[in-house]
Amino acid sequence: MAFIELKGVSKIYKSGEHELSALDSVDLAIEKGKFVVILGQSGAGKSTLLNLLGGLDSPSEGTIAIGGKDISKLSRDELAEYRASTVGFVFQFYNLIPTLTVRENVALVKEIAPKAFPPEKMIEEVGLSDHMNHFPSELSGGEQQRVSIARALAKNPEILLCDEPTGALDSDTGVMVLKLLLKMAKEYEKTIVIVTHNQNIAKMADVVIRVKNGKIRSIEEQMPLSADEVEW
Amino acid sequence: MLKKKLVRTFGQYKAQFISMIIMIAIGIGIFVGFNMEWFTIEKDTSSFYEETGFADYRIVAGSAIGFTASDLEKIRAIDGVEDASLFLSVDLNVKGEDRKSLALTVTTNENVSFFKLMRGAPYDAESTDGIWLSDSFAAENKFEPGDELTLLYEGKEYTLSIKGLIKSSEYLICVPDSGQLMPDFEKYGFAYVSPAFYRLVTGFSVYPQINVKSSIPEKTFKRLVNRALTKTTLVLTKNETVSYAEAMGESEEGKTMGSVLPVVFLLIAVLAMVTTMHRIAAKERTQIGILKALGFRDRRILLHYSSLCLLIGAVGSVLGIGIGYLVCYFIMNPNGAMGTYFDMPRWTMYMPWFVAVVILAVVALFTLVGFLSVKRTLSEKPAEILRPKTGGSAKKILLEKTKIWNKMSFGAKWNLRDVSRHKSRALMSLLGVAGCMVILVGAMGMRDTMTAFVDSYYEDAMNYASRVYISESASAADIEGLIDSVNGDFGATVPVELEEKAVSLEIYSVPHGYVRFIAESGEETKLEEGGAYVCARIAKEFRVKKGDEITLSPFGKDKKYVLKVAGVIRSLTESVVISEAYASSLGVEFKVDSIYTKVAKSEVAPSPVIKSVQSKEDIMKSFDSFMTVMNEMIVLLIVAGVILGVVVLYNLGTMGYNERYLELATLKVVGFKDKKIASLLVGENMLITFLGMIIGLPLGLGVLQYLLVALASEYEMKLVLGPLTYCVSILLTAGVSLLVSLLIAKKNKKIDMVAALKAPE
Repeated sequence: MAFIELKGVSKIYKSGEHELSALDSVDLAIEKGKFVVILGQSGAGKSTLLNLLGGLDSPSEGTIAIGGKDISKLSRDELAEYRASTVGFVFQFYNLIPTLTVRENVALVKEIAPKAFPPEKMIEEVGLSDHMNHFPSELSGGEQQRVSIARALAKNPEILLCDEPTGALDSDTGVMVLKLLLKMAKEYEKTIVIVTHNQNIAKMADVVIRVKNGKIRSIEEQMPLSADEVEW
Repeated sequence: MLKKKLVRTFGQYKAQFISMIIMIAIGIGIFVGFNMEWFTIEKDTSSFYEETGFADYRIVAGSAIGFTASDLEKIRAIDGVEDASLFLSVDLNVKGEDRKSLALTVTTNENVSFFKLMRGAPYDAESTDGIWLSDSFAAENKFEPGDELTLLYEGKEYTLSIKGLIKSSEYLICVPDSGQLMPDFEKYGFAYVSPAFYRLVTGFSVYPQINVKSSIPEKTFKRLVNRALTKTTLVLTKNETVSYAEAMGESEEGKTMGSVLPVVFLLIAVLAMVTTMHRIAAKERTQIGILKALGFRDRRILLHYSSLCLLIGAVGSVLGIGIGYLVCYFIMNPNGAMGTYFDMPRWTMYMPWFVAVVILAVVALFTLVGFLSVKRTLSEKPAEILRPKTGGSAKKILLEKTKIWNKMSFGAKWNLRDVSRHKSRALMSLLGVAGCMVILVGAMGMRDTMTAFVDSYYEDAMNYASRVYISESASAADIEGLIDSVNGDFGATVPVELEEKAVSLEIYSVPHGYVRFIAESGEETKLEEGGAYVCARIAKEFRVKKGDEITLSPFGKDKKYVLKVAGVIRSLTESVVISEAYASSLGVEFKVDSIYTKVAKSEVAPSPVIKSVQSKEDIMKSFDSFMTVMNEMIVLLIVAGVILGVVVLYNLGTMGYNERYLELATLKVVGFKDKKIASLLVGENMLITFLGMIIGLPLGLGVLQYLLVALASEYEMKLVLGPLTYCVSILLTAGVSLLVSLLIAKKNKKIDMVAALKAPE
């Protein structure tokens, strides 16, 4: 059995009379330790897929098993616990707490994650030791994203979920952040799932999943290129 | 189209706007209510005074024989005197088992100190068997026109026929003496008889008083009177009558209440509006940018947001005026709080004109707040406005330099930083909590103070069962006999002048301790033989203290007494108290007017020596009705205080929640449970509540002290705050805050994590 396994997963959003099918009976299996990229246009359903994996939302139908555990029927609090212990998130807009310093932003996961790493160590890993006591607003976009990577990994999660992690960054900074993300994922042996519409990122992945109109069009395993081999 | 947006914007921020409306409504309500109250008192009483010819001055004969028609002519001849009348008011007992008494009144001129006929036959100055009776006394005792009533005077009975039922401004507040706080028409009322009847009973036409209507200033008038009558006489101004002084006192209270309390509410409402509109302008930034980019003129956009504030101000004001009328009606109607106090025919409510001006100003101020908060945003270029405004950067706070910071939990750090980042919001919440606390402490402290006052005055000072008033005609031997038979203490009052101010010199002989004296500290004090005790008001006004000397001169005589002050005491009347021994050594002439005894009222044998008997229960009863009115007011205030707390905290709590929506969503995504997030939110509110209470408690005490001096200086009360007040005000404030925090924290279940993550901070 694969580490992540989706069976017949559908997600239907209801708003009043309207029904919008974001995902339509998706089956999917992802092995542990892989670097997976989900590709698709906006509205294809890729973010919905990521949200379901991250326990931010529950499917309308089907089951999602993570490490053999079904998360599709969990309660609110159980989902919060799942997010706290199993998943690390990296978002397009970093989503740092503006009133907390870099150290505090990373340290806050200690409140909820049982096997968290020391925050100082993670900040050092992403190369921001000098900015430990700065506030997010005092950092550049790339630096903020590095803080958010440190925060995601500080939880010591099983999976790292990234939604357009380079979407708000310029090309060079984006590449740097991606490199860091991959390095960290390797180092700490995490499964990493990136949702993007950027074809170039896909070239670095072990597995590329293409999504269109709420259905999976293809799943390709490939030999990944390193960041330096990709033409950005 | 913009109109539709107006409605939707209102819907979007309805919590804030509704709370704003409630605050304005309460603020305006209290403002309108109390200002209408005092204005109504002044209007209704002055028309009553006008109608019944309330006298401006009373010339009192004192111990001298009295005034005759020729004296009256001398006074009328004074240039500037509109009209004058010989006047008599004497307390007589009504024949019956329970010793009811009436202030029997005679006036020789129907234009001065007269009455208003409510029912029955008109007044007849030649009637020798008619009496015109207070309608309130008649109602309490089931008298009707045509009934007979028998009065006791010097051992004789006089049966009179009730011709008409009346009200008189002379007895607007109908109490036998200032020791009784509230009228009790079942026991005590008033009535008028004709001068013809008076002549028939006494055999002469000498009156103890001349009442005068005149607008001559006090000093000039006194001089003119002394010249006209060729002797020094006691002249009382209307400010020295119970009826006028107390009515004006009530009016002053209304003025104080109408200016202090609404300011608290309106100030908080305006500040909350500033904070709210500032936030809304920031949140609506993009929309403002779009409107501007679409080509709407600045004026249209300004109008749009200003009219939102105008709407809030107007709706709040209209509701407030309604509340104001209710508050005023609650106090000013014949069966209302003031109805048990004032006995007057007309209870028409009036609104002073400045109230309308203030309301318009408040509404204008609100509109201006909306105008200014949007104006600033509009001054930028559309492209700049469309770009989201980056949140103010967080700063290190002072506490971080200390070691405590590192030991604090993440939640505490997060909350403290939030407070420092949104100072105005935190400050407003602080004000709301402090305001709530001030009102609770003030209202309940007022009650504690009053209760302590009753205890010390009525429980400690009045150690007797009955007070026997001695009739004016009683001889010294009769009085001696009565004192012995009831084994009582006695007292006398001599009207004197202290630097041209009329005060009373009270002389006591209290071997049994039936009357006790309370020092300023609240401790009981014995009357030293060689010293005088002044009341706190005199001590304050004339700046006298223990060891000083004061000079008193009795009216109608040229003597002067120099007294040594032995202490300051609390007293209901403005008086100087001395012992009988000291009075004798000074050579003060006096006649015993009251005997204090442990004998129950019902067991005091009727005698021509006795004018009337008042039991301690009679006085306590009048005090109970006073306390009932007071308790109603306090409940009203507590409700207002709690509403203030709820509204301010809910408004700002919602605002804070909305502002931190993204942060809360992030915490949730990261894996914080709903409960944990709720406890963070509640924690911040409780921190502010705690600080607010620390500020509010002393502030409440300050306001209470101010109100005690402003509202009830005549009672010389000392501020007292019971343990229950501390507990209830703290628990209630904390409870309100906790409840509101929980209400807001409950919202975090609805946070849409997915949507929140799509938006840039």
